[in-house]
Amino acid sequence: MKTLAASTAISCSKFLPGLSAIVLGLSIVLGLGFLQDANSYLHNAAHDGRHSAAFPCH
Amino acid sequence: MADFRRLVAASLLAGILAGLLLSILQHYQTLPLILAAERFETPDPGHVHDWQPEDGWQRNLLTVLFNGLTGFGFALLLTGAMYWRGDGGYQRGLAWGVGGYLVFFAAPSLGLPPELPGTDSAALHSRQAWWLFTAVATGIGLSGLFLSQNRLLQIAGAILLIVPHLIGAPHPAVIHASAPEALQHSFVLMSSISNGLFWLTLGGLSGWLLPKFTL
Repeated sequence: MKTLAASTAISCSKFLPGLSAIVLGLSIVLGLGFLQDANSYLHNAAHDGRHSAAFPCH
Repeated sequence: MADFRRLVAASLLAGILAGLLLSILQHYQTLPLILAAERFETPDPGHVHDWQPEDGWQRNLLTVLFNGLTGFGFALLLTGAMYWRGDGGYQRGLAWGVGGYLVFFAAPSLGLPPELPGTDSAALHSRQAWWLFTAVATGIGLSGLFLSQNRLLQIAGAILLIVPHLIGAPHPAVIHASAPEALQHSFVLMSSISNGLFWLTLGGLSGWLLPKFTL
Protein backbone atom coordinates (compact mmCIF):
# COMPACT_ATOMS: atom_id res chain seq x y z
CA MET A 1 0.00 0.00 0.00
CA LYS A 2 2.82 2.32 0.96
CA THR A 3 4.67 1.57 -2.30
CA LEU A 4 1.56 2.28 -4.32
CA ALA A 5 1.13 5.67 -2.61
CA ALA A 6 4.80 6.50 -3.21
CA SER A 7 4.69 5.60 -6.91
CA THR A 8 1.50 7.64 -7.38
CA ALA A 9 3.23 10.61 -5.74
CA ILE A 10 6.13 10.32 -8.20
CA SER A 11 3.85 10.22 -11.22
CA CYS A 12 1.98 13.28 -9.87
CA SER A 13 5.20 15.25 -9.49
CA LYS A 14 6.19 14.14 -13.00
CA PHE A 15 2.87 15.13 -14.51
CA LEU A 16 3.36 18.89 -14.78
CA PRO A 17 6.94 19.04 -16.17
CA GLY A 18 6.09 16.39 -18.80
CA LEU A 19 2.84 18.13 -19.75
CA SER A 20 4.58 21.52 -20.02
CA ALA A 21 7.20 20.05 -22.36
CA ILE A 22 4.53 18.44 -24.56
CA VAL A 23 2.36 21.60 -24.70
CA LEU A 24 5.39 23.76 -25.60
CA GLY A 25 6.49 21.21 -28.22
CA LEU A 26 3.02 21.10 -29.81
CA SER A 27 2.82 24.92 -29.90
CA ILE A 28 6.17 25.13 -31.71
CA VAL A 29 5.41 22.36 -34.21
CA LEU A 30 1.85 23.46 -34.98
CA GLY A 31 2.85 27.13 -35.04
CA LEU A 32 5.59 26.50 -37.61
CA GLY A 33 3.68 23.97 -39.67
CA PHE A 34 0.20 25.47 -39.70
CA LEU A 35 0.04 29.20 -39.04
CA GLN A 36 2.05 29.91 -42.17
CA ASP A 37 -0.83 31.10 -44.33
CA ALA A 38 -1.57 33.97 -41.91
CA ASN A 39 1.56 35.83 -43.03
CA SER A 40 3.33 35.63 -46.39
CA TYR A 41 6.72 36.55 -44.86
CA LEU A 42 6.56 33.57 -42.53
CA HIS A 43 5.19 31.46 -45.37
CA ASN A 44 8.09 32.21 -47.69
CA ALA A 45 10.73 31.98 -44.97
CA ALA A 46 9.70 28.46 -43.91
CA HIS A 47 8.77 27.33 -47.43
CA ASP A 48 11.46 24.71 -48.22
CA GLY A 49 11.45 23.20 -44.74
CA ARG A 50 7.69 22.79 -44.82
CA HIS A 51 7.67 21.16 -48.25
CA SER A 52 10.41 18.72 -47.24
CA ALA A 53 8.70 17.85 -43.94
CA ALA A 54 5.45 17.12 -45.84
CA PHE A 55 3.38 19.75 -44.03
CA PRO A 56 0.52 20.93 -46.28
CA CYS A 57 1.62 24.06 -48.16
CA HIS A 58 0.05 26.59 -50.61
CA MET B 1 9.83 22.94 -12.42
CA ALA B 2 13.54 22.13 -12.41
CA ASP B 3 12.71 18.98 -14.40
CA PHE B 4 10.93 21.03 -17.06
CA ARG B 5 14.06 23.12 -17.61
CA ARG B 6 16.07 19.91 -17.98
CA LEU B 7 13.58 18.55 -20.53
CA VAL B 8 13.89 21.82 -22.46
CA ALA B 9 17.72 21.67 -22.35
CA ALA B 10 17.89 18.03 -23.54
CA SER B 11 15.31 18.75 -26.28
CA LEU B 12 17.09 21.88 -27.44
CA LEU B 13 20.38 20.03 -27.89
CA ALA B 14 18.77 17.01 -29.59
CA GLY B 15 16.59 19.26 -31.80
CA ILE B 16 19.44 21.48 -32.98
CA LEU B 17 21.73 18.54 -33.79
CA ALA B 18 19.04 16.53 -35.61
CA GLY B 19 17.86 19.72 -37.36
CA LEU B 20 21.39 20.37 -38.63
CA LEU B 21 21.60 16.82 -39.98
CA LEU B 22 18.22 17.25 -41.69
CA SER B 23 19.34 20.53 -43.25
CA ILE B 24 22.44 18.88 -44.72
CA LEU B 25 20.39 15.95 -46.06
CA GLN B 26 17.78 18.29 -47.56
CA HIS B 27 20.43 20.45 -49.16
CA TYR B 28 21.59 17.49 -51.22
CA GLN B 29 18.37 15.44 -51.49
CA THR B 30 15.27 17.63 -51.65
CA LEU B 31 16.36 21.24 -52.30
CA PRO B 32 17.64 20.50 -55.84
CA LEU B 33 14.23 18.96 -56.63
CA ILE B 34 12.34 21.99 -55.19
CA LEU B 35 14.50 24.36 -57.24
CA ALA B 36 13.98 22.23 -60.37
CA ALA B 37 10.19 22.18 -59.81
CA GLU B 38 10.10 25.97 -59.42
CA ARG B 39 11.48 26.32 -62.93
CA PHE B 40 8.32 24.62 -64.23
CA GLU B 41 6.03 27.03 -62.38
CA THR B 42 4.57 29.69 -64.67
CA PRO B 43 4.65 33.08 -62.93
CA ASP B 44 1.38 35.01 -62.82
CA PRO B 45 2.20 38.39 -64.47
CA GLY B 46 -0.47 40.30 -62.48
CA HIS B 47 0.75 38.93 -59.14
CA VAL B 48 3.00 41.12 -57.00
CA HIS B 49 5.42 38.95 -55.10
CA ASP B 50 5.89 39.60 -51.37
CA TRP B 51 9.29 39.35 -49.81
CA GLN B 52 10.92 35.95 -50.11
CA PRO B 53 14.42 34.85 -49.14
CA GLU B 54 17.04 35.08 -51.85
CA ASP B 55 18.34 31.80 -53.24
CA GLY B 56 21.59 30.85 -51.58
CA TRP B 57 22.65 31.48 -47.99
CA GLN B 58 19.51 33.44 -47.02
CA ARG B 59 17.17 30.70 -48.14
CA ASN B 60 19.39 27.96 -46.65
CA LEU B 61 19.79 29.75 -43.32
CA LEU B 62 16.02 30.05 -42.91
CA THR B 63 15.63 26.34 -43.65
CA VAL B 64 18.27 25.49 -41.00
CA LEU B 65 16.39 27.72 -38.53
CA PHE B 66 13.06 26.07 -39.40
CA ASN B 67 14.56 22.57 -39.04
CA GLY B 68 16.24 23.41 -35.72
CA LEU B 69 13.01 24.86 -34.31
CA THR B 70 10.78 22.00 -35.47
CA GLY B 71 13.47 19.58 -34.21
CA PHE B 72 13.27 21.27 -30.80
CA GLY B 73 9.47 21.08 -30.83
CA PHE B 74 9.40 17.40 -31.85
CA ALA B 75 12.12 16.58 -29.27
CA LEU B 76 10.00 18.19 -26.53
CA LEU B 77 7.17 15.79 -27.42
CA LEU B 78 9.53 12.81 -27.28
CA THR B 79 11.32 13.77 -24.04
CA GLY B 80 8.02 14.74 -22.34
CA ALA B 81 6.50 11.35 -23.19
CA MET B 82 9.66 9.38 -22.27
CA TYR B 83 9.92 11.30 -18.99
CA TRP B 84 6.34 10.35 -18.09
CA ARG B 85 7.00 6.69 -18.76
CA GLY B 86 10.44 6.65 -17.13
CA ASP B 87 12.04 5.68 -20.46
CA GLY B 88 15.61 6.59 -21.30
CA GLY B 89 18.65 5.48 -23.28
CA TYR B 90 19.26 5.66 -26.99
CA GLN B 91 17.60 2.32 -27.75
CA ARG B 92 14.25 3.34 -26.24
CA GLY B 93 14.78 6.72 -27.87
CA LEU B 94 15.13 5.11 -31.31
CA ALA B 95 11.78 3.34 -30.80
CA TRP B 96 10.16 6.67 -29.87
CA GLY B 97 11.78 8.21 -32.95
CA VAL B 98 10.19 5.55 -35.17
CA GLY B 99 6.86 6.41 -33.53
CA GLY B 100 7.38 10.12 -34.28
CA TYR B 101 8.19 9.33 -37.92
CA LEU B 102 5.00 7.29 -38.27
CA VAL B 103 2.83 9.94 -36.58
CA PHE B 104 4.22 13.10 -38.18
CA PHE B 105 5.51 11.91 -41.54
CA ALA B 106 4.54 8.41 -42.72
CA ALA B 107 0.83 8.31 -41.82
CA PRO B 108 -0.03 11.83 -43.14
CA SER B 109 2.11 11.15 -46.26
CA LEU B 110 0.08 8.03 -47.12
CA GLY B 111 -2.86 10.32 -47.93
CA LEU B 112 -1.04 13.57 -48.69
CA PRO B 113 2.39 12.72 -50.14
CA PRO B 114 5.09 15.41 -49.88
CA GLU B 115 4.45 17.82 -52.74
CA LEU B 116 6.72 19.89 -54.93
CA PRO B 117 5.88 23.58 -55.48
CA GLY B 118 3.50 24.00 -58.41
CA THR B 119 1.20 21.10 -57.54
CA ASP B 120 -2.54 21.83 -57.44
CA SER B 121 -4.18 20.25 -54.42
CA ALA B 122 -7.42 20.43 -52.49
CA ALA B 123 -8.03 23.54 -50.34
CA LEU B 124 -5.22 24.14 -47.85
CA HIS B 125 -7.45 24.09 -44.77
CA SER B 126 -9.09 20.78 -45.62
CA ARG B 127 -5.64 19.22 -46.14
CA GLN B 128 -4.37 20.69 -42.87
CA ALA B 129 -7.43 19.33 -41.05
CA TRP B 130 -6.92 15.82 -42.45
CA TRP B 131 -3.16 15.97 -41.73
CA LEU B 132 -3.79 16.97 -38.11
CA PHE B 133 -6.56 14.41 -37.61
CA THR B 134 -4.32 11.66 -39.05
CA ALA B 135 -1.38 12.62 -36.81
CA VAL B 136 -3.59 12.67 -33.68
CA ALA B 137 -5.33 9.37 -34.57
CA THR B 138 -1.98 7.68 -35.37
CA GLY B 139 -0.43 8.97 -32.12
CA ILE B 140 -3.32 7.75 -29.95
CA GLY B 141 -3.55 4.53 -31.99
CA LEU B 142 0.14 3.67 -31.58
CA SER B 143 -0.04 4.44 -27.84
CA GLY B 144 -3.02 2.10 -27.44
CA LEU B 145 -1.34 -0.60 -29.49
CA PHE B 146 2.14 -0.51 -27.94
CA LEU B 147 1.94 1.22 -24.55
CA SER B 148 -1.15 -0.49 -23.13
CA GLN B 149 -1.49 -4.00 -21.73
CA ASN B 150 -5.27 -3.91 -22.12
CA ARG B 151 -6.45 -6.02 -25.07
CA LEU B 152 -9.46 -3.79 -25.77
CA LEU B 153 -7.31 -0.66 -25.88
CA GLN B 154 -4.89 -2.43 -28.22
CA ILE B 155 -7.70 -3.31 -30.63
CA ALA B 156 -9.12 0.23 -30.42
CA GLY B 157 -5.62 1.56 -31.15
CA ALA B 158 -5.26 -0.61 -34.25
CA ILE B 159 -8.65 0.57 -35.53
CA LEU B 160 -7.70 4.22 -34.93
CA LEU B 161 -4.60 3.75 -37.09
CA ILE B 162 -6.78 2.79 -40.08
CA VAL B 163 -9.69 5.25 -39.67
CA PRO B 164 -8.06 8.34 -41.32
CA HIS B 165 -7.19 6.26 -44.40
CA LEU B 166 -10.72 4.85 -44.63
CA ILE B 167 -12.05 8.42 -44.58
CA GLY B 168 -9.40 9.39 -47.13
CA ALA B 169 -7.41 12.56 -47.68
CA PRO B 170 -8.96 15.49 -49.57
CA HIS B 171 -7.91 15.58 -53.24
CA PRO B 172 -8.98 17.86 -56.08
CA ALA B 173 -11.17 16.43 -58.86
CA VAL B 174 -8.40 16.97 -61.40
CA ILE B 175 -4.81 16.80 -60.27
CA HIS B 176 -2.44 19.12 -62.04
CA ALA B 177 1.28 19.39 -61.35
CA SER B 178 3.61 21.62 -63.32
CA ALA B 179 6.70 19.50 -62.54
CA PRO B 180 7.16 16.13 -64.31
CA GLU B 181 5.97 13.03 -62.46
CA ALA B 182 9.48 11.57 -62.19
CA LEU B 183 10.55 14.65 -60.23
CA GLN B 184 7.59 14.25 -57.87
CA HIS B 185 8.47 10.55 -57.30
CA SER B 186 12.09 11.37 -56.44
CA PHE B 187 10.85 14.08 -54.09
CA VAL B 188 8.60 11.63 -52.17
CA LEU B 189 11.46 9.10 -51.95
CA MET B 190 14.09 11.64 -50.90
CA SER B 191 11.93 13.33 -48.27
CA SER B 192 10.95 9.90 -46.85
CA ILE B 193 14.64 9.03 -46.46
CA SER B 194 15.78 12.38 -45.03
CA ASN B 195 12.87 12.56 -42.58
CA GLY B 196 13.45 8.94 -41.53
CA LEU B 197 17.11 9.64 -40.72
CA PHE B 198 16.06 12.85 -38.95
CA TRP B 199 13.56 11.05 -36.69
CA LEU B 200 15.96 8.20 -35.86
CA THR B 201 18.65 10.72 -34.92
CA LEU B 202 16.21 12.88 -32.97
CA GLY B 203 14.81 9.88 -31.05
CA GLY B 204 18.23 8.33 -30.36
CA LEU B 205 19.68 11.64 -29.17
CA SER B 206 16.61 12.50 -27.05
CA GLY B 207 16.71 9.10 -25.34
CA TRP B 208 20.47 9.27 -24.81
CA LEU B 209 20.43 12.86 -23.48
CA LEU B 210 17.31 12.62 -21.29
CA PRO B 211 18.86 10.62 -18.38
CA LYS B 212 21.99 12.79 -18.53
CA PHE B 213 19.89 15.91 -17.97
CA THR B 214 17.18 14.62 -15.61
CA LEU B 215 19.26 12.53 -13.17
